[in-house]
Amino acid sequence: MAAQKPLELILARNLLTSISTPAFLVDQTAALVFYNEAAGALLGRSFEDAGRMTPEEWTSTYGPFDAEGKPVELDELPTTRAVRDGRPAHAVFTIRSANGGTREIESSAFPIVASEEGSSGAMIFFWPQGANRTEDA
Amino acid sequence: MKLKVWGARGSVPSPGPEMNRYGGNTSCVEVTLASGDQLILDAGTGIRTLGLDLTVSPHVNILLTHLHLDHIQGLMFFPPCFRADADLTIWGPASPEASLEDRVARYISAPLSPVEVRELPCSVSFRDTPPSEWQLGSATIRCEAINHRGPTLGFRITEGDTTVCYIPDHEPALGTSLVETEPEWISGYDLARDADLLIHDCQYLDDEYPLHAGWGHSGMSDTLTFASRVGARRLLLFHHDPLHADGFLDNLHAAARRRWAEFGGDPAVVEMAMESAELEIGPVTTPAGLATTA
Repeated sequence: MAAQKPLELILARNLLTSISTPAFLVDQTAALVFYNEAAGALLGRSFEDAGRMTPEEWTSTYGPFDAEGKPVELDELPTTRAVRDGRPAHAVFTIRSANGGTREIESSAFPIVASEEGSSGAMIFFWPQGANRTEDA
Repeated sequence: MKLKVWGARGSVPSPGPEMNRYGGNTSCVEVTLASGDQLILDAGTGIRTLGLDLTVSPHVNILLTHLHLDHIQGLMFFPPCFRADADLTIWGPASPEASLEDRVARYISAPLSPVEVRELPCSVSFRDTPPSEWQLGSATIRCEAINHRGPTLGFRITEGDTTVCYIPDHEPALGTSLVETEPEWISGYDLARDADLLIHDCQYLDDEYPLHAGWGHSGMSDTLTFASRVGARRLLLFHHDPLHADGFLDNLHAAARRRWAEFGGDPAVVEMAMESAELEIGPVTTPAGLATTA
């Protein structure tokens, strides 16, 4: 059985479950441990189907990519900066959904800090920009 | 391990003839270990009468789950506080805002109190609970943050093969379904897992709960489902609402036992915390009736 999550991640997941803004929850290693139904709609795949993913797994699956179509370095992602530095971060980039379509989104990551030992994860919210750029690429 | 309930009421002391059987004092449970060491769980108003019973020179460990008034109100009236030969260690949740002593001193200070902590004749020390297990006498103690309003702990106390878990204020079902959620995402799961006795918040009947969602307490079915998911061997329903008189709590108890039986468990393992009740706790070898049914 997986280890018990810290209370602050449990509460964050409960919050994300209850809102319609697409959002990810990552743990202190930046592993994706949950995303809500709205994010599932954006990505074309529910979290129940996708399951937990390491940072490498979710970036290879969903991107993101910069304006020129190049993969954004893991170190430069708002998620990584929020977990590593304990600071909020914001970026605009393109993601690839499960059906191969791409979409430009704005993303803000907020660290979850419950002790002096650093962040125990981060919440990442997404705001889609306009319509899908490509469908079923 | 032996337990004595000195206060099982939640929120505010509730004296009155209609409350006599379950009692009106707020949260306080005395644990006497097989080694003879004593632990006191919370310092609600029940701790006053507990203190009257302590006649020998006491070294007392008091474990505070949190600092809401119904869990600390009795501290200022705890007789050993006023004995020079008493030695108290008070454990509680850490906070980035202020030390445990400073936070407790907000209550034991003017204008709320005629005395200050520094004026107490006893020897008293305040300790943040450590993040890992620690030893008090012959017991191993573990605590974890659990879902309530403000920094709040639950305690897991293990001596030999016997484990008691104390989570008097807890709302694990807030924003989630305890039936469907994976164990790793349930507040307090590891703390309460396979406990021989789980002492747990059951402040509301199910139809009262929706009006109080988010207040940090549990409705009856959520309490039973939590106990079922963690595989608790015995369950002591605790933190009775101050509006619930004896007859109401009798009915709540009957309803809880019926519901537990519907889950497939032995209704006799569901008990109500009652002031002055004493319980003998030992390892229960039979599997929990409901571990996988609810």
